Amino acid sequence: MDKLGVITAFIHSIVAINIPLLYGTVGEIVVEKSGSLNLGVEGTMAVGAIFGYICGCLANSLGVGILAAFLTGALCGLLFALLTVTLQANQNITGLTLTTFGLGIYFFVGNSLKGPDWPTLNNAVNVKNGFADLSIPLLSKIPVIGKGLFSHNILVYLGIIIAVALWWYLKHTTLGLKLRSVGENPAAADSVGINVKLMKYVHICLGSGIMGLGGYYMALLMSGSFNSACWINGYGWIAVALVIFANWNPSLAIAGTFVFGFFNTLRVSGSSLAKAFPALLGWLDKIPVQLYQALPFIITAIVLVVTSIRNKRGSSGLPAALGTNYYREDR
Amino acid sequence: MNGFFSKMPRLPFHIVKRENCPLWMKCCFYLAAIVIALLAGALVLWAIDVDPWDYYYQMFTMGAVGNKRAYKIYMNYIKEFLPLALTSVALSLAFKMKFWNIGGEGQFIMGAVSAAFVAFKLGPVAPAWVTLIVMCITAMVIAGIYGLIAGILKVRFGTNETLMTLMLNYIALYFLTFIGETKADWNFFLQEKSARPVFESFKDIVIFPSIPLGEKFELNVCFILTLMVGAIIFVYLKYTKQGYEISVVGDSPNTAHYAGMKVNRIVLRTVFLSASLVGLAAAFKVGSSGVLSTSITDDVGWTGIIVAWLAQLNTGMIFIVSALICVLQFGSVNAASEFARVDSSFANMLQGLILFLVLAADFFIRFRIARTKKGE
Repeated sequence: MDKLGVITAFIHSIVAINIPLLYGTVGEIVVEKSGSLNLGVEGTMAVGAIFGYICGCLANSLGVGILAAFLTGALCGLLFALLTVTLQANQNITGLTLTTFGLGIYFFVGNSLKGPDWPTLNNAVNVKNGFADLSIPLLSKIPVIGKGLFSHNILVYLGIIIAVALWWYLKHTTLGLKLRSVGENPAAADSVGINVKLMKYVHICLGSGIMGLGGYYMALLMSGSFNSACWINGYGWIAVALVIFANWNPSLAIAGTFVFGFFNTLRVSGSSLAKAFPALLGWLDKIPVQLYQALPFIITAIVLVVTSIRNKRGSSGLPAALGTNYYREDR
Repeated sequence: MNGFFSKMPRLPFHIVKRENCPLWMKCCFYLAAIVIALLAGALVLWAIDVDPWDYYYQMFTMGAVGNKRAYKIYMNYIKEFLPLALTSVALSLAFKMKFWNIGGEGQFIMGAVSAAFVAFKLGPVAPAWVTLIVMCITAMVIAGIYGLIAGILKVRFGTNETLMTLMLNYIALYFLTFIGETKADWNFFLQEKSARPVFESFKDIVIFPSIPLGEKFELNVCFILTLMVGAIIFVYLKYTKQGYEISVVGDSPNTAHYAGMKVNRIVLRTVFLSASLVGLAAAFKVGSSGVLSTSITDDVGWTGIIVAWLAQLNTGMIFIVSALICVLQFGSVNAASEFARVDSSFANMLQGLILFLVLAADFFIRFRIARTKKGE
């Protein structure tokens, strides 16, 4: 491969491999903006992945897969909302349990179907073709970066559109303002006539549905080959971290995804970069893989500390009521 | 759309806080939760053509009934039970103070690595009992310091400890995989002869002794030590001044502050204690198996949280609940070999279901539903 080709492939992977992070992060931002800390991202993504994949393949339609992933993800959200909003259960515990539960369902369903009955992507031509790269005219003709940035599958574009749309929604609509007020101070929001519970329910389900889409993306990225490691493989936890990195802003989440994605992709294609540019990037081969894997978490830990120092001055996007349940009579 | 979110439907009932719930009622609620979860699980089993009764029997007896090697099963079961129970007790200390230490995994790993370090370095030159004690102390101190990072940041800057300990878990995990997958001259954790990276065992250097009971059954000293630590923590939380301070800070840091307690000091002390006990659990685990592994934690850091919560942070209950959860996990792996159709992940689903329903039952214990009178 020529040297510029390596760079193009690298840029392409940064986007293609890491979009699930964007879905997970944006979904979690919506949930957290309503004041709920949902630690069940990993489980929700796993549930969306397995059901989206299986339904999509059986129906031989990408659309059905997307719908199934969204709905099953939203169902996980509904469970979380039912327990934390209506039944006042602790959010940390409910979220962690959701992860255990979701991964349990993932492996249970996957392992039960494994074997000759397993739906493969080769039999679902429409899904396979639907997930193929689409080039944006003109933009994709730019040398080096064109093919890397502007030639992707439809779910990449969908993810970016969702992120931008939600940024607009949170920042510039009345409903978004109301949502933020619920996350900041539910009692105050309640007193001006906002239906706090309904707001929470709707947005927890919406956010969880978006996480489910990320799971589905991951399933397709892995070409649906089911083995002992989960498709999601920690992406859900990185998403929880990315929310902080993005300062609860969906459009910053796009940037955050690519920053984290950069390191994540170096892990995968660092050696091919090192081979193409031995003088300049030869040292990439010497860095242990585990450092790349740990980097998202190290960066987030630092961001978390910086955010909390800054938060004392009141400029962070952290919803003030995050993690606490709202019970009207306690007001 | 906007109107949709502000409409306030008038319901014919509302929820009220319950003053106190009698014990029998609590038991009924929890029992109902578990029974419903098991029934739901049975439905799933029935749907995939497995006799639920047979499966549950196999799972809850762990395949030990009528098995000549039952003693082996019980010994393995205890090996899984101990780290979970001790980790859960450790975490409950922090939870009592409403400090969300979900960093059990990371603290466990740090404890395990430092215990193994001592075993390799000190083991060959010191008497076994000295090495074992130093292993425990080192693991406790290192794990405690690792936990203290989140504690100090919380006290100093108000950093969210849930998210911070979460990040530290993964940093520790990749540190462990780094040690486990890197062949190098300095890396004495791995076998020298093997070409692939494999953890070196220190079984021949030093290991926690087992006490033979009867002909075949052996009980590791860690079992007795774990029970002792559990008893000490029970007394510590219930009858000492420091234990009382933890619950006051947990209920209301302001009250504690006005009462003249040094809240920050109590927080730091408790977090250190909580994390260091997780480290002790790790030292027991590597010290009795004699080898590290990248999956050394067995997820006890996560499951321990669930156990602590299910047991409502009651030290005695934690031992009972972790024994039950271990039956679920250990039993389902066992049953998976009998029932090819049912994956061992069924335990995770069942565990999740049980906890969801217990959380729901909790609601009915804390609140009751009252009819709304007219004009209210």
